[in-house]
Amino acid sequence: MKRIVHGMHYKEALQILRQADGYYLTNTARDLSQSDFKNRILLHTDLLAAESRENANYFSLEITGGASVHVDILRKQVDPFLKLELLREKMPNTMFQTLCRGVNLFGYRPYPQNVIRFAVREFAKYVDVWRVFDFMNHVPNMQAVFEEVQLAEKILEPSICFSTGPEHSDEFYVGKVQEILAVTGEDIILCIKNHGGLGTPKRIGELVAAIKHKYPELVIHYHGHNTDGNDIGRITAAVLNGATIVDASDHAFTGYYGPPPLLSVIHTLKDYGKEAIDLNEDAVIESSEVLRNERDHYEYFESQFKGFSPTVQIHKLPGGAMGSSFEQAVKGRFLDKMPTILHDELPKVQIELGNWWSVTPGSQILWTTAVTNVLEKDRYGNPSGDLKNLLLGKYGPFPFYRPADWIYEKVFGTGWQNLLADEGGVEDIEDMDIDKERQVLADRLGHKPTEQQLVTYLQHPNDAVNFFKFEEEFGKVYVLPPSIFLRRGGYKLGESLMFKDHDGKEHVIEIGPKQKNEKSEWSIYLNVDHQERNYTFKEEAKEGAAAAGPQLSKKEIEDLAKAGDMRATYSCNVCEIVAKEDEEVAVGDKLAVVEAMKMQTPVVSQVAGTVVEIQAKVGDALKVGDKILKIITEVE
Amino acid sequence: MKKILVANRGEIAIRVIRAAQELGHKAVAIYETPDTEALHVRVADEAIWLGDGPRKDYLDIAKVIKAARKSGADAIHPGYGFLAENPEFAKACENAGLVFIGPTSEVITNLGNKVIAREIMAAANIPMVPGTSNLSPGDEGLQEALAFASEYGYPIMLKATAGGGGRGIRRIDNDSQMREELPMARTEAKAAFDNDNVYLEKVVINPKHVEVQIIADSFGEVVHLGTRDCSIQRRNQKLVEIAPSLIQDQSIIESICETAVKAAQASNYTNAGTVEFLVDKDMKYYFMEINTRIQVEHTVTEMVTGIDIVRTQIKLAFGKKLLFKQEEVKIRGHAIEMRINAEDPKNNFMPEGGKTVDIYRSPGGYGVRLDGFVYQGYTIPEVYDSLLVKLTVHGYSWNETVDRLRRCLKNFVIIGPKTTIPFYLELVDDPDFQKGDFDTSYLEMHAHLLDYEEQNTEINKLAKLIAEIHYNEENTYAV
Repeated sequence: MKRIVHGMHYKEALQILRQADGYYLTNTARDLSQSDFKNRILLHTDLLAAESRENANYFSLEITGGASVHVDILRKQVDPFLKLELLREKMPNTMFQTLCRGVNLFGYRPYPQNVIRFAVREFAKYVDVWRVFDFMNHVPNMQAVFEEVQLAEKILEPSICFSTGPEHSDEFYVGKVQEILAVTGEDIILCIKNHGGLGTPKRIGELVAAIKHKYPELVIHYHGHNTDGNDIGRITAAVLNGATIVDASDHAFTGYYGPPPLLSVIHTLKDYGKEAIDLNEDAVIESSEVLRNERDHYEYFESQFKGFSPTVQIHKLPGGAMGSSFEQAVKGRFLDKMPTILHDELPKVQIELGNWWSVTPGSQILWTTAVTNVLEKDRYGNPSGDLKNLLLGKYGPFPFYRPADWIYEKVFGTGWQNLLADEGGVEDIEDMDIDKERQVLADRLGHKPTEQQLVTYLQHPNDAVNFFKFEEEFGKVYVLPPSIFLRRGGYKLGESLMFKDHDGKEHVIEIGPKQKNEKSEWSIYLNVDHQERNYTFKEEAKEGAAAAGPQLSKKEIEDLAKAGDMRATYSCNVCEIVAKEDEEVAVGDKLAVVEAMKMQTPVVSQVAGTVVEIQAKVGDALKVGDKILKIITEVE
Repeated sequence: MKKILVANRGEIAIRVIRAAQELGHKAVAIYETPDTEALHVRVADEAIWLGDGPRKDYLDIAKVIKAARKSGADAIHPGYGFLAENPEFAKACENAGLVFIGPTSEVITNLGNKVIAREIMAAANIPMVPGTSNLSPGDEGLQEALAFASEYGYPIMLKATAGGGGRGIRRIDNDSQMREELPMARTEAKAAFDNDNVYLEKVVINPKHVEVQIIADSFGEVVHLGTRDCSIQRRNQKLVEIAPSLIQDQSIIESICETAVKAAQASNYTNAGTVEFLVDKDMKYYFMEINTRIQVEHTVTEMVTGIDIVRTQIKLAFGKKLLFKQEEVKIRGHAIEMRINAEDPKNNFMPEGGKTVDIYRSPGGYGVRLDGFVYQGYTIPEVYDSLLVKLTVHGYSWNETVDRLRRCLKNFVIIGPKTTIPFYLELVDDPDFQKGDFDTSYLEMHAHLLDYEEQNTEINKLAKLIAEIHYNEENTYAV
């Protein structure tokens, strides 16, 4: 049988898959990075493993999509398109796979149709396999991506998100598959997206069998997480019941919440008489040999909590959110509340809000709501903007049942029924003027952007501009290994850092002394390619925080808001300033939109008056108590 | 052994100190407060503080003479700029019994006055651009100007008699402009030079600026050291200087040099000087002026002749005879000098005053000469000029010299201020420059040379990030 490779027509690839005797493996390196390393595995590391991963002959390498596009620019400072270009150079045959959040693309909220189509067209130049999902399993939310992927003649892999509970029956999911096929036609791969690693092997086996029973020709790709340590069981059951492709990754980097090790899957299924088609086991081992040395440098980004979490079956957090949840708990100092949040409140909220699928962005809504409910001791008393949108049906209809009336009343007040009638339903997002955005970006950069830059910008405007400016200042930093790029505690005196730059030129930087002068400036001496360099840094005034006075309490911030002095109630980024100076506002008017933990929340006026001063600007990172704007109330 | 006070700062002070020390003399530096840490103060045998300055103490004749007395100096070398062409200063030295290393105060007076200089040259049949003597004051002068214009045609240069070095010059294109600007030029000249005399000169369109280095002893011997071309100028300020001129017709070159010697003789010139000419498209040349001092660009002549001009200046000033005859002066190869300034060419060559040179690495190797004032840690003064170092390269052929120049420019590492290097790198790659095809309109016609991208190498960018990670003890762009 012919090998499935990059560049093959998608119909031919699907034909080979339908006739497969055995199964295929996708190396979900991206999901591994996201679930177990907070998405920080660098392109440098992926490039090291590229050759052996290419030789392993996977069905595909999942290397982009999900949150990775955002983290690429935000934390790894690498262009998501350049990343794919460089990997393609080293991996000419392996198909690249992405994970696309339907109407949310690679972000956290719905984008206009024309932005979605533009982004898919640009990424489709590099990406062969498109896994697409929607957290409400609402097929219309995925339609634009479906159409563009098919227009680009790439392999479309629509997903049914999987969860457990009485509503999550075979009948329901088979019905969803039917709904998808009605839109896409039969030339697709169907993904069962088990982002939490939920259910037992038996349950997954039944589901695959039920779908295969109805659609014997349909190629099924099972995706799971090993959060409870049992994904190999589910994978095995999936393959034995007819799944053609399954997900796993390199054992040198496997952790607790991402995919299980490839080799263990291979060994287990071999004993059942199932062969991994085309797979080169030696190359799989070699990848891990190459990668093993790198893992230490990522230690800081591994989960604060070690060990599998079988209680995922209770709280249902997706693998991709486990690490960041614990991180937030540590940073927010509510680690002691985690058992209550995870095992009592989160399951409760989940059921109360409709028992749909805990995956981005729904998982963030559930998580934030549960955390707020517990920390504020006032259930649904501090609803986020995204929770409100969810309740209003802006992300799509509730698949099973609508949350109870009391939740609506708590969130919206007594007039909630009118509000729901007036504003409820899926939001139609107007197309963006892309040419105008191109001009805005050109003005911000000082030069004409590339189409790829524009795509990145349209999804994450401020972070994209920051990244482009970073690249202008610091160059192409993917060339730096994690031992340099992610170093903590500074380098050692006399240490030699060696690397090749983007143009392939070899460099040596030797670390010289670090000295402070009488003006409180620090001098860092480096010997760069045998030339001495000196970098001066001004020590930031440490007394700044103290001078700003004690942090305002929540009560004080609320009182100030009632006087028209709007402050940030929590650490957040400013997404939008709606109000304008000298504009009159009424109680309840939206003044600004802020974002924290991937959730957007409007800042609403508590007073009627005139906006006299706007103190924050779009893109600002605000701390608790930082000023947003000021309103003068009308004197009667 | 003598003691020579160097009445200057910057690279030329160091140049003179070096020559004095090589001759076995002692060199005395003078300085104003902002120059306390300056290199010329370090390399001199003694240094005398003049005052807080800035500039006014270097220009204070009495203070400089007093410093010379205090140090027991026998002679004063004025360098270029500051008091170098001030006849009062030469006179004061003469009166104080100090040897002034340069021509006599009388020569400086005569040649510094454009009108007297023209009269001397006219008497010696030196070809000159048609021009007037000092215009009469008021309306009478305007009528003289308009009459001159109707005879020779526009454009015409309106020049301040006491001006120089590109200052006090304006171009007039028609009668109404003449009526408007003549009084303004007078007011300006009065303010700038305390002398409101102005005169006119016919404009030679897009000439080459060719000058001849001359050197004369006190025994009537005048020798020239060949030509230099200083056509590449920005607003009459020279940027690039070469030796010899690339004019192919050697009979023209010889004729220009002979004329220069004649001009020097006519003015009773002694010591080193420069006779400047304009050469038009038809290879007709016109006397412009004689600079009565060492020039910035003297290095190119030294490179192609092998003659140390400053050393010669000192010896002649102490009454020695010229040790070489005209026929012994041989021009060998080509030399190019560029002024590496701490300026931002893209921002109208704005000086980068106040910035510190964090890193300074200079080129080396065959045929390379540096006359610098800069050192690692040097802060570009806001009160003096922004010259860091003069790069002079010497090569056998013009092409070899240009190649060497490019290599040297690339070998510089100057981190801190912006410099003229990126602009020069564009210039050396310009086909017209490479062909030697340039005149005084060169920069105007090649404005695109300023459209270069600010170069920052990939490794410099990465090194900056590494420095930040090291300083912050984590990568703040990654956490």
